Amino acid sequence: MYALVAGATAAVTNRRRLALSARNALFCCFGSTLVAAIVLAVALARHDFSFTYVAQHTNRTLSTPYTLSAFWGGQEGSLLLWLLVLTGYGALAVALNRKLLRDLTVWVVPVLAGIGTFFAFMLVAVASPFDTQTAPLDGAGLTPSLQNPYMVAHPPMLYLGYVGLSVPFAFAAGAMLSGRTDERWIVATRRWTLAAWAFLGFGQLLGAHWAYVEVGWGGYYAWDPVENAALMPWLAATAFLHSVMIQERKGMLKVWNMVLVALAFELSIFGTFLTRSGVVNSIHSFSKSPIGTWFLAFVVISTVFSLTLIMWRLPLLKARTKLESALSREAAFLYNNLLLVALCLTVLWGVLFPIVTQLFKGETRTIGRPYYDFFLRVFGLPLLLLMGIGPLIAWRKASVRALVKMLAWPITVSILCGVALVAVGAGSSRPGLIAYTFSSFVLATIVLELVRGARAVGSVFTLISRNRRRYGGYVVHAAIVLLAIGIAGSSAYGTNVQRRLTPGQSMTVAGYTLTLAQVRRTQVPNATETRAVFDVSGRWNGTLTSGDNQYIFPPEPSREVGIKTSWKRAEDLYVIADDVNVKTHVVFVQVLVKPLVNLIWIAGIVFLLGAGVALWPDAREQRRLVTRLAPARA
Amino acid sequence: MSIAVGVLLAAAAVLLVALPFLREPVAADDRLDAPDEAEAQHLALLDERDRALSALKELEFDHRTGKIADADYRELVGPLRRSAAKALRGLERRYGSRMTETPDLPPEPSPPPDEGTPPTPAPVPEPYPPPDEATIPQE
Repeated sequence: MYALVAGATAAVTNRRRLALSARNALFCCFGSTLVAAIVLAVALARHDFSFTYVAQHTNRTLSTPYTLSAFWGGQEGSLLLWLLVLTGYGALAVALNRKLLRDLTVWVVPVLAGIGTFFAFMLVAVASPFDTQTAPLDGAGLTPSLQNPYMVAHPPMLYLGYVGLSVPFAFAAGAMLSGRTDERWIVATRRWTLAAWAFLGFGQLLGAHWAYVEVGWGGYYAWDPVENAALMPWLAATAFLHSVMIQERKGMLKVWNMVLVALAFELSIFGTFLTRSGVVNSIHSFSKSPIGTWFLAFVVISTVFSLTLIMWRLPLLKARTKLESALSREAAFLYNNLLLVALCLTVLWGVLFPIVTQLFKGETRTIGRPYYDFFLRVFGLPLLLLMGIGPLIAWRKASVRALVKMLAWPITVSILCGVALVAVGAGSSRPGLIAYTFSSFVLATIVLELVRGARAVGSVFTLISRNRRRYGGYVVHAAIVLLAIGIAGSSAYGTNVQRRLTPGQSMTVAGYTLTLAQVRRTQVPNATETRAVFDVSGRWNGTLTSGDNQYIFPPEPSREVGIKTSWKRAEDLYVIADDVNVKTHVVFVQVLVKPLVNLIWIAGIVFLLGAGVALWPDAREQRRLVTRLAPARA
Repeated sequence: MSIAVGVLLAAAAVLLVALPFLREPVAADDRLDAPDEAEAQHLALLDERDRALSALKELEFDHRTGKIADADYRELVGPLRRSAAKALRGLERRYGSRMTETPDLPPEPSPPPDEGTPPTPAPVPEPYPPPDEATIPQE
C-alpha cells in the first residue's frame, strides 16, 4: 500500500527520494511475502495442523512432494503464490531497469504495487492461509486427483505465466502514465512477456497431460471454462508477441499493442476469477469461495484504468507510418493478430455464455464442444496456413511473383503429402486431411527458410545466433505443427468403442483384442483399489488394468485408466473401466485408440526449446538500451 | 522467539523504506532524474536510426533469400537509406560524430536496366553486420 501511494505521489510530484523509498517498499513486499511463503511451506512440511489451511489440505499419509504441493492446492495458498511471484517478478524487473528506464520505473512501481495491494488485501482480509485452530490429530488430506506428479508442476507453471503478464502490463501502463510511449518499454519487457507466455503454454500442456492420465475421460482438453481461462491470455499474449515486432520495426500498432497487453493481463486475472469463484461449473474448480466478487471488481477496475489510460494517451500512440502493402510481412502479422484475437474472443464468449444466460434469462445454458471445435477449425486452420505463408513474405512490400516463386516448393510438398494421405485412407476426415496438409506446408516453409537463410549467411548456427527471436519463433511454429498433427490424429482418426464385459469375454478395437481376465479389489494405505484386469493381444501383447480408487482421507473417488503407449506405431491404447462390480464381475469398458497423441507432449518439449532459443540473452539489446541514455549522462 | 524475528524483519523493512531519507535528510536536488525534452528528441532520433537500419538489414536479407524481387528491392532501398541518413545526420548535428559511427550502409542499388546499367543490384559484402550489433557506439 505504501509503495502504491508513495510511488504514485513521487511520480506526480516529481520527488526523487520518495520514489526511491517506494521502490524499496516494493522490494520489501517481496521479502515479506517470501518470509510468509517459507512459514507456510515449513508448516506444511511439519504437518502443523494448528494452521487451518494445512489441516484442510494435507494429512500425515501424504508424501512430502504432495504435502508441499498443497501450497497451491487450495485457495489461500494459491493467492500467496500469486503474490510471491508477482512481487518477485516486480522487484526483479524494477531492479533490472531502474537505471535504463528510470522515467518509466517511477510509474511502474505504483502500478505493480497496486496489483500487489489487491492480492495482499485478499490474503489478509478475505482468504488467509494463516488462520489457526486447535490442532486436530490428522488433516483432511489432498484431493486425490491432485496427487499426481503433473500437479506438482502444472499450477506453479500457470501462475508463473499468469503473473508474468503483469510485468509487461505494468511497463505499458508506466509508459502511458509517464508519456514515454516509445519502444523502450517493449524492448525492456520482451523477455518477460516471452517467459510468461512460455510458462503459460507449457503449463497448459502439463495440465492437458494431467487430464489425459488422471481425470480419465479419454481426452486431454475438454474446453472446460478453467482450461479456457489459461488459453485466452495465452492467445492474447501470442498476438501481442507478434504485433510488437511491427511496432519495433515501423512504429505502427501502438494502440493495438496497448490493448493486447491489457487484454492479456485482464484475462489472466479473469482466469483466476473463473478458477476460484465457482461461478461456472468446471471439473477443475477445486475450491469455491466468495473471493470471486473481489476478483470481478478488480477486473472491472483495472479494465477501466487501462482503457482510460489508452484513451488519454491516444495522441501519443498515433502511428508514424502506414501499412505499405496488403502483401507484406507486416500485413501477415496483422492477419495473424486478427485471427488470434477472434479465436480468443470466441472462447471468451463461450465461457461467458452460461453467466450471461443466468443473468438475463435466469437459466444456465452452456456451450458445448461443437461450438469450440467449429471455431477452432474456422480460425485455427487459416492461422496454421498463415504460419507457413507469413515467414516467406518480405517486409514492407512483396510481389505476387516473388511470393509464388517462394511458395512453389512448400506447396508441392504439401500437395504430395495430401495425395499420399488420401492414398493411405486419411481422407475419411476432411478437417484432419486439411490439418495434415497445412502442417506439411508449414514444416516445408520452415525447412526452406532455414536452408535459404543458412545459404545467405554461411551456416545455420550463424543464422540462428544472429536472430534468435526469429528462429526461436520458427522452432515454436514447428511445435505448433506437431501439436496440430497430434490433435488432428488423435481426434479425427481415433477409435472409440464401449462394451459390457464379464470375465472371459473379449472385444476387438483397431487391431487390439482385450479380454477381461479378472476383477479385483485391494486395500492399500488410505485407499480401496478396484481394478479390472485385461489381457491384450493382437497389435500388442500384455496386460492392462483400469478401475477406480476410493480414498479414505479425503473420502473421494479417483478414476484410474490403463494406457499403453506404442512409440513404434505412434499411438496409445487407452482403457477406461467404469462401474467395476466386484460382486457380479461386470465391467463397462471404454477402449480408445489414439493415433499420434504423443506428438502433443513432444510438441511441449519442442515449444520449450524454441522459447529457450528466443529467450537466450542477447547483449545487443541491452547495449541498445544503455546507449539510449548516453547523452543525458555525458 | 517468532515475535522477536517478526519485529526484526519489520524493523529491517522500515529501515530500507526510510533509507533514501536517512541517507539524504536534506537533498540538494530532490527532483526526479527524468529525461527532458532534448533527451526525448534524442530518443526519437535513435529510434528512427535503429528502425531505418533494421529495415535496411531486413530488406537486404529478404532480397538475398529471394523473398523480394530486384525491382522491388531497388524501389524500397532508396527511401530507407535516406531515412537512415537523415536520422544519422540529426544525431551528428546534436551530438557530433560519436553517436553516428555506423558501418558502411548497403551500396545504392544500380539504376534499372533500361538506363543502361546491370540488371541486378550491387551485392552487399558479407557478412552484413546487423545495425544494432555494430553501429551503436559504446560509451
